[in-house]
Amino acid sequence: MTQFLFNFLALLHITGIIADVIVILCYFVFILLFIIINVMFIVWLERRMSAFFQERLGPNRVGPFGLLQSVVDAVKLLGKEVIRPTATDKWVFLLAPAICFVPALLLYPILPFGKGLVLVNLNIGLLYFVAISSTTTISIIMAGWGSNNKYSLLGGMRTVAQMISYEIPLIFSMIGIIMLVGSLNLVDIVNAQARLWFIHVQPLAFMIFLIASIAELNRAPFDLPEAEQELVAGYHTEYSGMQFAFFYLAEYANLFSLSILGVTLFLGGYQGPFFPSWIWFIGKVYAMIMVYMWIRWTLPRIRMDKMMKLNWKFLIPLSLFNILATGFMIKAWPTIQQWMR
Amino acid sequence: MNISAVSLELASLSLGLLTIILGLIFPSFRSKNTGGYLAIMGLISMLIGSLYLPASNTQTFINTFYVQDSLALFFKQLFIVVAIFVNAMSLRYLKPYTKNRGDYFALTFFALTGMMIMASAAEFITLYIGLELMTFTFVLLTTYKKQDLKSGEAGLKYLLLSAISSGVLLYGLSLIYGLTGKLDFSAISTVFSIGSVSPLLVWAIIMVLSGLGFKIALVPFHMWTPDVYEGAPTPITAFLAVGSKAAGFVAFIRVFFHVFAPFTSIFMPLLITLTVLTLLIGNLIALAQTHLKRFLAYSSIAHVGYILLGVIAYSKLGLSAILFYLMLYLFANIGAFAGVTALVINTGHDRISDLAGLWKCSPFLSVIFLISLLSLAGIPPTAGFIGKFYLFTEAIHQGYLWLAALALGLSLVAVYYYLMVIRTLLSGTSEETQPFIIPFSLRLVMIVSAAMTIGIGIWPGPFTDLALNIAQSFY
Amino acid sequence: MIILFYLFSAILLAFALGTVISTNLIHSALLMMGSFFAVAGLYLLLQADYLAMVQILVYVGAIAILLVFGVMLTRKGSIEESNLPNRYKTIGLVTALGLFGLLARSITYTRFPSPPLESPPQNIIAIAQAFLLQYIVAFEALGILLLIAILGAILIGKEPK
Repeated sequence: MTQFLFNFLALLHITGIIADVIVILCYFVFILLFIIINVMFIVWLERRMSAFFQERLGPNRVGPFGLLQSVVDAVKLLGKEVIRPTATDKWVFLLAPAICFVPALLLYPILPFGKGLVLVNLNIGLLYFVAISSTTTISIIMAGWGSNNKYSLLGGMRTVAQMISYEIPLIFSMIGIIMLVGSLNLVDIVNAQARLWFIHVQPLAFMIFLIASIAELNRAPFDLPEAEQELVAGYHTEYSGMQFAFFYLAEYANLFSLSILGVTLFLGGYQGPFFPSWIWFIGKVYAMIMVYMWIRWTLPRIRMDKMMKLNWKFLIPLSLFNILATGFMIKAWPTIQQWMR
Repeated sequence: MNISAVSLELASLSLGLLTIILGLIFPSFRSKNTGGYLAIMGLISMLIGSLYLPASNTQTFINTFYVQDSLALFFKQLFIVVAIFVNAMSLRYLKPYTKNRGDYFALTFFALTGMMIMASAAEFITLYIGLELMTFTFVLLTTYKKQDLKSGEAGLKYLLLSAISSGVLLYGLSLIYGLTGKLDFSAISTVFSIGSVSPLLVWAIIMVLSGLGFKIALVPFHMWTPDVYEGAPTPITAFLAVGSKAAGFVAFIRVFFHVFAPFTSIFMPLLITLTVLTLLIGNLIALAQTHLKRFLAYSSIAHVGYILLGVIAYSKLGLSAILFYLMLYLFANIGAFAGVTALVINTGHDRISDLAGLWKCSPFLSVIFLISLLSLAGIPPTAGFIGKFYLFTEAIHQGYLWLAALALGLSLVAVYYYLMVIRTLLSGTSEETQPFIIPFSLRLVMIVSAAMTIGIGIWPGPFTDLALNIAQSFY
Repeated sequence: MIILFYLFSAILLAFALGTVISTNLIHSALLMMGSFFAVAGLYLLLQADYLAMVQILVYVGAIAILLVFGVMLTRKGSIEESNLPNRYKTIGLVTALGLFGLLARSITYTRFPSPPLESPPQNIIAIAQAFLLQYIVAFEALGILLLIAILGAILIGKEPK
C-alpha cells in the first residue's frame, strides 16, 4: 500500500521528503478515521450490550437498531460550549485532552491487522506498545491536577496509582510469550501461533493479562477512578463539550488497542482458516471487546485497598511465577519429549 | 566460568536473602537477635572459608570484567571482619531503637556484597553498581533509628550528597568511555598507554577523583562525614568509617595505580594538594569537637590524609603501607566505636564530656579507649606507630620529604587532641556511680580489637609480609 | 538527520530550562517529562531504539509520574511558589556557565577515536547477551539493588506500631 501511494505521488511528480510527508499524513488520516469509526461502533455496542444485560432496549431510534446514535451524540458534543473554570491551571487544563489522544493514536501503526496489513513493522513492536501506552497516565494526571477540583484530583491520583501498579503484571504476563517466540516483533509473534494459539500454552498469562488490562482501561470492576457515587466523574469532571469527547474517545481507543494486543498475543492474531485474515482479526477483536463488556456489566466495583492488594500480593507474584515456569519449561521441554518417546 | 571467583559474594547474598526470608516466615526472628547470631556465625564461616580460596593466582569470573586477585581477596576478608564486628556491636545496641532487627542484619550483608563487588570489579559499570549497592544500603542503615531526627537527617544528607557525587563520577566515566570506547580497566590502560593527553581526559580524572574522593571523605568532599557519622547508629558509623572507606580505597587503588598509571604527572599535583588539605582540615577541626562521634569523624578524615601519602608515594612499598595501615585502622577504629557503643548503651549520650570519670566507673572500657586512641594517635607500642612509620618513610623515599614533615607535624597536633580525650577519661568526676554493664558480645569485640592493635604493634612481621606480598602481586 | 538532531536538542534544552525556571513544582515535573521525550528522540537518532523505548517506559511512564504523585501527596502551601530559586541563584548560574564553557571548549578541542560502529540490526539481542554474559555481575547486583530499594521504602515508610 505504501508503494502504491508513492507510485501515485510519483505520477504527480511529487518525490523526496514532500512525498514522505504526504504519505505520513495519509496514514494519520487513515488511522484517525479507523479509530473514530470503530470507537463509534464500540460505543453503540456497549450501550446495546448494557441494555441487554439490564433487560432494557437501549438506543434504537436513530438509524437501523440505533446504529447512528453515536454519530448524533458526537455532533451534539461538537456543538456544546467548551467551559474552562476560572480557578484551573490554564495550560495544564487545556493541554490534557489533546495529550490524552496522542498515545492512543501512536499505538495503531505497529499493530498487525491482517496478513501484510501492518503500517510499520517494528522490530521492538511490543516494547513500543508498552512504552507508549505507559504515557497515557500523563494526560490523566494533568487533567486531575489542572482542574483544581477535589474530585478530579482524587480521581486522577487513583487512576495513576492503579495504572502504574497494574502495568507491572500486564507487562510481566507478556514476558512468557516473548521468551517463547524470542522476538518482540508483533508479526513474528502472530506467525509463531500458526499451529497453536498462545492461550493454550500460557493460560495463566492470559488470565493475568485480562485482569490487568481491565484495570489499565479503568473499566468495572476496576472503575474506581470514575466511581460516580464517590467522585462524580473522576478526572474529567470539569471537562465539557469537545474536551470531554476527547477523553471519551481516548478511553475507547485504548480499549480497542488493548483488545487488539490481546488477540495478537494470545488468540493467534489474524490467523485462521477459510476467511481472509482481516475478517478473522476483526472477529476476534470484537469477541474480546464483548468479553470486556460482559465483565463490566456483570461484576460490581471492588474496594480501592482490595484492588491494590489483589495486584501487589496476588497478580505480581503469580506473573513472576509464570515467567519462572515458562523459563523452566523451555529448558525442560526437549528432555521431556525425548523421555516420553 | 569460575564460580570460586564469586563464591564469597554468593555466600554473603544468600545469607542476606535467607535472613529476609526467615524474617518473613517467623515474626519472632525479626524482633529478636537470632538474625544477628546467624549473621555472625555465617560471616565467621565465610572468613574461614575465604582462607582456603587460592590467593596466589588471579582468577576471573567469565571474563576479565570481574577478577579475584590477592588484593581483592585481602579487601574481602577485611570487609568480612568489619561486618562480624559491626553485627556483634549491634546486638545489644539496637534494642531500644527498633522492633525490627532482622532486616538490619540482612542489610549489613547487602552492604558487604556491594563492597566485595567493588573490591573485585575490574570494569567501570560493575564498579559503579557495587558502589551504589553499598551506598543505598548504607542510607537505609543510617536511617534505621527512625524516631531519632538526627538519624533521618543523616540518611537524607547521605542520600542527596552521594547522588550528586555519583552523578559527577558517572560523568567522568562517560568521558573515559568516549575517549577510549572501552570500559574494562586493562583495555582502557592499553589505550591510554599509547594515546596522548587531551583536555577532556583531565576533566575525566578530576571527576573520577571527586566521585571516589567522596566515598573516602577526601577534603573538599568530606562535608557529609561528621553529620552522617553523628546521626547513624554507632555500629553503622563504624561500618561507614572502616568498611565503606576501605571499599573506596580499593577502587581508588585500582583506578589510580592501574587505569590512570600513564598520567601520574596530571593527577599527582591534584592529589598532593587535596592530601595537604585533608591533613590540615581533618586534624585542625578535630581539635574543636565536643561530640565523640564527630571527633572520630574528623580523625578519620585526617587518617585518609595519612593513607593518601602511600598513594602519592606511588610505589610497591607505598601500596603495602596503605594495606597495612588499613588493617590497623580497622582494629583501632572498631575499638573506639565499640567503646562509644558501650557508652551509649549505658549513659545514652556520646559527648566527650560524658567520658569524664570513666576510669572509676569502668576501668575495662577506659583501657579499650586508651589503646584505640593511642593507636589512632600513633604512639608506640600500638600498631598506629608502625603504620605511620611505614607511610612516612616511604613518602620520604620517593622524595616527598616536605609532605612527610607536614604530616608528622600534624600528627603531633593529633597526639594532642587524642591525649585531651584520654585526659578527660582518666581525670574528672562523673555523676554516674553504678558500674557499667557491657554485654558479652561487645566485650569480645573490644578485647579482640585491642589485642590485635597491641599485637600488630609488638609483632608486625606477618602483617607487613602479607601486605608486601599482595602489593608485589598487584604490581 | 542533523536537522532532527538540532530539533530534538532544542526541544530538550527548552524543556530543561523550563523545568529549572518554572516556579510551580508540578509544571517543572511536567516539563521534565517533555525533556525525557526529547532524550528518547536523541537515542532513536543514535539507532538505540531499545534504549529509547526503555527511556520512555521507565522515565516518563514511571519515574516522572511518581514524582508528580509525590509532589501532589506531600505538598503544603501554595503550589504557585513551590519551586522558587534560592539565594545562590547568581553564583549557581556563573558556576554552571563557566563549567559549561570549559567543558565545551575541551570537547571541541578533543579528537575522539574512530566513529562508533553501525549498530547491529537486532541490537536488543546484543544487549541481552551483554547483560547476561559480560555484565552478569553488574546485572545481578542491580537486581539486589532494586530489592533493597523496595525493602527500604517499606522500612522507612511503615509507621512503627
